[in-house]
Amino acid sequence: MSELLDLAQAAVEAARAAGADWCDAYCADVTEISVDVEKSSINNCATIRDQGLSVRAYTNGGQGFASVQQLSAHSARECAERAVAMSRAAHPDADFVALPEPAPFGEVAELFDDEMAGLGADAFVGWCARGIEEALAVAEDAIVQGGAGAGWGESALAGSTGVAVTRRGSSASLYFFVILNRDGDVGSFYEHDQARRLADLETEGIATKAAEDALKQLGSRPIPTARLPIVLGPLAAMGLVGSVIGAADAESVQRNRSYLAGREGERITSEVLTVREEPHVPAGMRSAPCDGEGVPTVPRTLIDAGVLTTYLHNSYTAFKAGVAPTGHASRGGYGSSVGISAGNLQVQPGGKTEAELIAEVDEGLYIAHASLSPHSITGEVSTTADFGYRIEGGELTTPLSTTLIGSTADELLGGIDAVSSDYREEPGFIMPSIRIASVQVASEG
Amino acid sequence: MREMIEEILTQARSRGADFADIRIANGQGTSISVEDGQADKIHSGESSGAGLRVLVDGAWGFAPTNLVTREELRRCLDDALAMARAASGHVTDRGMVAEVEPVEAQVDSDARTDPREVPLSDRVRRIFEIERVARERDERIVNTTAGYRDAAGTLTIANSFGTWIEQEATRCSVRVMATAQSGDVRQFATESEAGPRGYEIIEEIDPEAWAGGTADKALALLDAAPAPAGTFDVIIDPRVCGLLVHEAFGHNAEADAVWAGESILAGHEGEQVCSELVTIVDDPSIEGINGSFRYDHEGVPGRRQEIITGGVLQGYLHSLETAARLGAEPNGRARAQSHQDEPLVRMSNTFIEAGDATLEEMIADTERGLLLKGAYWGYVFTARGQFTCNVENAWAIEGGEPGQHYRNASFAGLTMEMLSRVDAVGDEISFDLGGMCGKGGQSMYVDAGGPYLRIRDIVVGGQQAAGSGQ
Repeated sequence: MSELLDLAQAAVEAARAAGADWCDAYCADVTEISVDVEKSSINNCATIRDQGLSVRAYTNGGQGFASVQQLSAHSARECAERAVAMSRAAHPDADFVALPEPAPFGEVAELFDDEMAGLGADAFVGWCARGIEEALAVAEDAIVQGGAGAGWGESALAGSTGVAVTRRGSSASLYFFVILNRDGDVGSFYEHDQARRLADLETEGIATKAAEDALKQLGSRPIPTARLPIVLGPLAAMGLVGSVIGAADAESVQRNRSYLAGREGERITSEVLTVREEPHVPAGMRSAPCDGEGVPTVPRTLIDAGVLTTYLHNSYTAFKAGVAPTGHASRGGYGSSVGISAGNLQVQPGGKTEAELIAEVDEGLYIAHASLSPHSITGEVSTTADFGYRIEGGELTTPLSTTLIGSTADELLGGIDAVSSDYREEPGFIMPSIRIASVQVASEG
Repeated sequence: MREMIEEILTQARSRGADFADIRIANGQGTSISVEDGQADKIHSGESSGAGLRVLVDGAWGFAPTNLVTREELRRCLDDALAMARAASGHVTDRGMVAEVEPVEAQVDSDARTDPREVPLSDRVRRIFEIERVARERDERIVNTTAGYRDAAGTLTIANSFGTWIEQEATRCSVRVMATAQSGDVRQFATESEAGPRGYEIIEEIDPEAWAGGTADKALALLDAAPAPAGTFDVIIDPRVCGLLVHEAFGHNAEADAVWAGESILAGHEGEQVCSELVTIVDDPSIEGINGSFRYDHEGVPGRRQEIITGGVLQGYLHSLETAARLGAEPNGRARAQSHQDEPLVRMSNTFIEAGDATLEEMIADTERGLLLKGAYWGYVFTARGQFTCNVENAWAIEGGEPGQHYRNASFAGLTMEMLSRVDAVGDEISFDLGGMCGKGGQSMYVDAGGPYLRIRDIVVGGQQAAGSGQ
């Protein structure tokens, strides 16, 4: 691991020597294995060793960024010089203040699992083979798609301010999409699991659940066009919550391209919604002791009884706004520059179960999977709800087809009238169901 | 290098592979981002490496590397063979490839102006000028961005049939986005140009018309009303037609979906599947548009494929594997995002052929409906044949006349039902949807287009109550 840090520090020195005012360098060495399931058969297995580095350099505030798919002293130097040349071509940026200074942070436990990193292809093939058997046991005409995979590796970050961070991480996932086609009546459903520790990964029962839910999706029908209450299942609800947190990205806000611009400290959802960010959960999928610039991460409440408590900042947006960085700088890998994203999100559960929330609805929709994310600029919502059910008399009845939802962020978020007490849990994440009082639904029924 | 690659392919065959291929890529790219009057992010990337794939006992193994040396390729061969063997014990539907004649070719870039030869400062100045025009259009424009990308490099494709192709490729793209605000209403519009061409793409742009027009579209949306919800006759413009034919239909014509049981077209070859007014084509050989190419990433020439002719299903888009599985001729549709990815069946330039109606005739002949223009995004649920398309603008049509301007409309339905309800096809086609298509975690260059179309009885989702619907 220190070799990666040595290389990152060499790149920083090369960028400084080439004239950068400020710079940082990031190196990564990652191994991945994946197995694909197509048409209920395991047809493909791949392994990838991906190595590379990138350098971010600032000259008069202008940012240059360069990447290369090699790890060597020569490539580090060449990449650094290229980044500096890019920064010289950029316009000076008076809003750039500094890169962050080194700051102490603790460790977050179990982000790397030796057992997972040692897995061979046979393990993933075995999980997939069992998944196919599970789905076919539920319905012998099931068509099973899906796969399993894992990635593990090391990274290093060095900065001209003295930031020096090395990290190791691992994760694995398993997913199945089951299709039933009975004379043109199609039912299908998706299920997955993911974990950083092998012991946390559910490798059994995923395909069974997907197949059972696919059976329930047979016989889908449109519903009448109307304004209706909707209950979002855990994954659909987290999709909505995650998109709202994403719109609180300070760069988009400062650039006036977020519907949450000017809303910090204001109520943006009904008061029944509280969302915590918990970046220090051991083995959490989005846990990290520090962000992509080496700034310590902090557990905090992002939405407090409907009030947006803070925007998410990296060092550039924080210093521009005159606040401290919030630890939300993100790196998608060595090939992409620094962005902004949140850690593990935990929605505070409410007082009634999902079943009770549904039972209180006389006529409405239950949506298991759908992207109800408001558009990040306009805040408008226009989407489809294929994986859901009609609610009639407090019970789920027929599955939905050709059903569209049109709304706005204010209407959806302001209309949240309940959060369930029971929830889906994935490492670091707590995902209850959410009910919204009334939205416009269009269909051909 | 050729001797080294051929040695690895020979070893692959001698160690049990029925087929093997290697793609070697080297490329450089630059991106420039100008936002609110400042070129504040300039990026440069270099990529290189090889992707080695083997087919052993009906299972595929794949192992890419970023380092193209004999030692590293031997390691990749060991890994790929081990991967294939791990999977082969669980294959129930054996993988295979269609045998094709080997191709030996050298393909030069179509670029007139290599972007790498344009000084970086000139490129920055040009993109800044495009952004400036949009920014200064109106005081209600609150954010403007202009993004530029170029990429140039070589891709070598070799396989155990003896194919050896060296392709040079250059691409440029530019995109402008303007956000307008009035009170609490914030709207945006985008425009982009992209293709397998050189810097001439950027030089051909008239910033005043192109970027200024984009700002005008965002401004116009500020005064548009939220769209109605209900069932309408719709007339769609060439962009929405492109979105529809790519998302709603095209993914069903990718033969991997057909083979896997995920396509509504499976089993209907030779049948009348939609309106006889509809002919759908995918053609990578059209010169200079975003989905165009000579050879796919398996080394097969990309040729025009009529998927539907006069409403009758003709055939699909194939890789070597799907052609073998479905007993068809390969037509060169397997492409991979990078050397780190395996080729997937992808569309190229997909479109509906022109008919004989004019837009004016279609509007005049529509008693009550919506004219939909400008495409945002599309989604398809192939197994059920269900699609959703989101559009920028809608105009009410009342008594054959366009009226109220709406924003944020989606429409949805069952693809083949929708194509059966097409009752008028415009007499001109255009391609304006050059962009990237996502599939299997990979992005790929595509284009799509068509004429104006009228479709009867389509579900439209909007924020307004159903009173505006029929």
